[in-house]
Amino acid sequence: MNRSIRHLAIVILAVLGLMTGWMTWLQVVVGPDFRDDPRNVRVAAARVAKERGPIITADGVVVARSTANPDDRRVFRRTYPEGDLYAHVVGYSTFLFGDRGLEAGAAEILSSGQDSTISSVFTALTGGDLAPKGIRLTIDHDLQTAAAEALGDQPGAVVVIDPATGAVLAMVSSPTFDPNQLLGSQAGTAGTGLEVDPTEPLLNRATAAAYPPGSTFKVITTAAALETGVAGTATPYDDVVELELPGSTAVIRNFDRRVCTDGTTVTVQEAFIRSCNTTFGAIGLDLGAAGLVTGAEGFGFNLEVPFDFDVASSTIPSAASFLNDLPGVAQSAIGQRDVQATPLGMALTAAAVANDGVIMIPYLVDAVFDVDGDVTDITSPATWQRAMSPASAGQLAELMEQVVTSGTGRRAAVPGARIAGKTGTAEVPDASPHAWFIGFGPVGDDDTPPIALAVVVENGGDFGEGATGGATAAPIAQAVFAAWVSG
Amino acid sequence: MSRTAETALILVATGLAGLGTVLVNLTQGSGFDAQVVVTIAAFLVGFGGLGLATRRFAPAANPFLIPLVTFLAAIGFTELYRLDPSRAAVQRWSIVVAGGVAAAVLFALRTDGVAVLRRYRYVFAITALGLWMLPLTPLGVEINGSRLWLRLTVPGTSTTASFQPGEIAKLLLVAFLASYLAERHESLSQMRRSIGPLLLPRPSQLGPVMLAFILSFGVLIYQRDLGASLLLFGVVIAMLYAATSQRTYLVFGGALVLGGGIVAFQMFDHVQRRVSAWLYPFDDFTGAGYQVAQGLFAFGSGSLTGSGIGVGRPDLIPAAATDYIYAAVAEEMGLAGSVVVLAGFALLFAVGFGISVRSRDVFRKLMAAGLVLVLGIQTILILAGVMRLFPVTGITLPFMSYGGSSLIANMVLVALLARISHEERT
Repeated sequence: MNRSIRHLAIVILAVLGLMTGWMTWLQVVVGPDFRDDPRNVRVAAARVAKERGPIITADGVVVARSTANPDDRRVFRRTYPEGDLYAHVVGYSTFLFGDRGLEAGAAEILSSGQDSTISSVFTALTGGDLAPKGIRLTIDHDLQTAAAEALGDQPGAVVVIDPATGAVLAMVSSPTFDPNQLLGSQAGTAGTGLEVDPTEPLLNRATAAAYPPGSTFKVITTAAALETGVAGTATPYDDVVELELPGSTAVIRNFDRRVCTDGTTVTVQEAFIRSCNTTFGAIGLDLGAAGLVTGAEGFGFNLEVPFDFDVASSTIPSAASFLNDLPGVAQSAIGQRDVQATPLGMALTAAAVANDGVIMIPYLVDAVFDVDGDVTDITSPATWQRAMSPASAGQLAELMEQVVTSGTGRRAAVPGARIAGKTGTAEVPDASPHAWFIGFGPVGDDDTPPIALAVVVENGGDFGEGATGGATAAPIAQAVFAAWVSG
Repeated sequence: MSRTAETALILVATGLAGLGTVLVNLTQGSGFDAQVVVTIAAFLVGFGGLGLATRRFAPAANPFLIPLVTFLAAIGFTELYRLDPSRAAVQRWSIVVAGGVAAAVLFALRTDGVAVLRRYRYVFAITALGLWMLPLTPLGVEINGSRLWLRLTVPGTSTTASFQPGEIAKLLLVAFLASYLAERHESLSQMRRSIGPLLLPRPSQLGPVMLAFILSFGVLIYQRDLGASLLLFGVVIAMLYAATSQRTYLVFGGALVLGGGIVAFQMFDHVQRRVSAWLYPFDDFTGAGYQVAQGLFAFGSGSLTGSGIGVGRPDLIPAAATDYIYAAVAEEMGLAGSVVVLAGFALLFAVGFGISVRSRDVFRKLMAAGLVLVLGIQTILILAGVMRLFPVTGITLPFMSYGGSSLIANMVLVALLARISHEERT
């Protein structure tokens, strides 16, 4: 009898022994797979409850911080003290709606390394730093505020860049929202409301939306012409009411459906200042598809833009796709047809002209600092693209300055400062046009370095059908330049 | 080991329950409060009281039993308090009542010992049957698809108390079997004919097996309780083997479980659901597989050291306070905690089997073995279910899950083991 009881004892104890091994397998070996399973809400809940590092602007304004829950010191809550002003650029980190903006892009820096994994325990034991780090942005709070106020409630975006470094000084998208409402007790309702809102407040129009660039694209067409030698600033073109496009019945007309100057000939310079479509359609045809596409790609079109979070690319169809489509080449040269540009992409285009043809990698994170406030990492500016030679950039800069002094961009002028720019009014089928302004300034100012910017007002904004780049977008740029110059 | 050491160990385990309560409080922003005091008080009265009763009525009893049980209960209670403080408050009363009932059993057996139980063999058998049937009467209620509970209204109030009579029935079953087998083990073990190495029992020798099988299948059909059904049958077969040393019973029992399992799988939706949730928990993640999947998530999230008591999300696991308490412990205390629990049960069973093996009297020997087997098979069934080694059977984890009936029955079980170990030494 004792023998059989011992057998039973051995079996039961052996099963418990096997269970120890099985639990080790479940919890440690395959455990991470279960822990990181997307259906395991523990991950998201724990991530959101963890402390994240603060985010401050270049001038020290706190735009995101984690505060401990007074009832439960282990649970942190993210707050965004500046509300809707940084909703798109800083983004948010939420349980229900995930992460967006820099909160997503810089999650690794901002989040605490502390969890219950073995590697975390090991890091802590070997003296590694698991505390979340803070981020200092390149954003200038005053400039961000000025840009947001200038754009107002109109749908659109403003992107301001330091052309010499690529540092983003302001990035505004409208309509906006208060990210704090995605974290409160009403987060579900608020977030779902924002998701279904037809005005798309969650969309970061500055980086994730692409619009036809319209006449602002003439900067790129001109650069391509200067670089390839197809045309110079003084090259004359026939001044016609309608440019007939080869192989089709389509024509290109100027904005006012008239000739550009006197109906005889017009130089590239005059056409640029007055933004004449007929001339630039002709330049496009002279450049050919390959010349135009290569030129645009020099400005970063069709390339993935390196940035601190995922952004959309500006695009132009491949040269091969224009093989039997000469009208398409001419229309693309004036920024229509299938050319699409993001506000960030056009700000980089303006920056290229301001920076001797060189585009720096755009960035938002100026520095990373630890819990003691000591800077542990500083971003060094780096070159991204060489869009054109310094000589071409200099010629283009002169043309763009004349646009503001005597051309379509006069409303961007700031007294006492030399501002350069280019307007754009992008036609949209069955809707009001998008109003653009890209530019830079102040030029040649010893005290204030130039900034480069792009402004887009979606479907005309407050101006509706009557919107133009000069009337709608240029005044917004003017306000931003004025805020920058007055410092 | 002296009784003093036993008392000291019970106090340490009680302190653990108090510490666990403090830790849970700390994550909620408070610390040492009234909850801690009443928890310690309940453990002192329930387990400490049982310890004192052992000192008085079974002074030679094995000194490890009650400390081990207190220790397991402390871990379970901490997790229960973290999951649901109001249930923990009920559980504190259960601890006090269970300790009292177990002490009363020791008191009742103080002069005549467990041998007195042999006299009531058939009373126990009939009572056990009756208790199993009781939930099928109008007094019974169905909870989570199984009809296992009695709901009694306290006279003169609207307060109701739920009770699982099956928990008491399993003790009576062991007492009956031990008594029955102590008399009949010889006739049940003599087998003359054989097929190869397998001895063939006479039809009359298979009687108890068939009876147990019919009873177990009845539990499965009418109460829809896979766990109780397997436990019942498993205990009968294991005790038959213990009493006769005839592997034939294991072979026949195993064959019947397999056959019955296949038939049950074909016949019952609730068995099919549990099996498919076991094999493919992620195929029906939002439905049948949800609980199993959440258990696995809890294991994975707990990793080596756990999320920390009160910091994980065991509230996401369905039935975390009852069937799945082990997953909750594994999540918040990590592999460290889950292995400690396994070790605690292993020690408890080892002590229990030791008591059985050392007993000179056949009835006491079989009684002790049966009691440990009830505990052991129940523990393994539910743990294997939670760990996804077996379909989830829906029974409580002894001493750790929330549930008064189970705690009372298991405390009485431990008191009986203590009494047997006392008698074996005197």
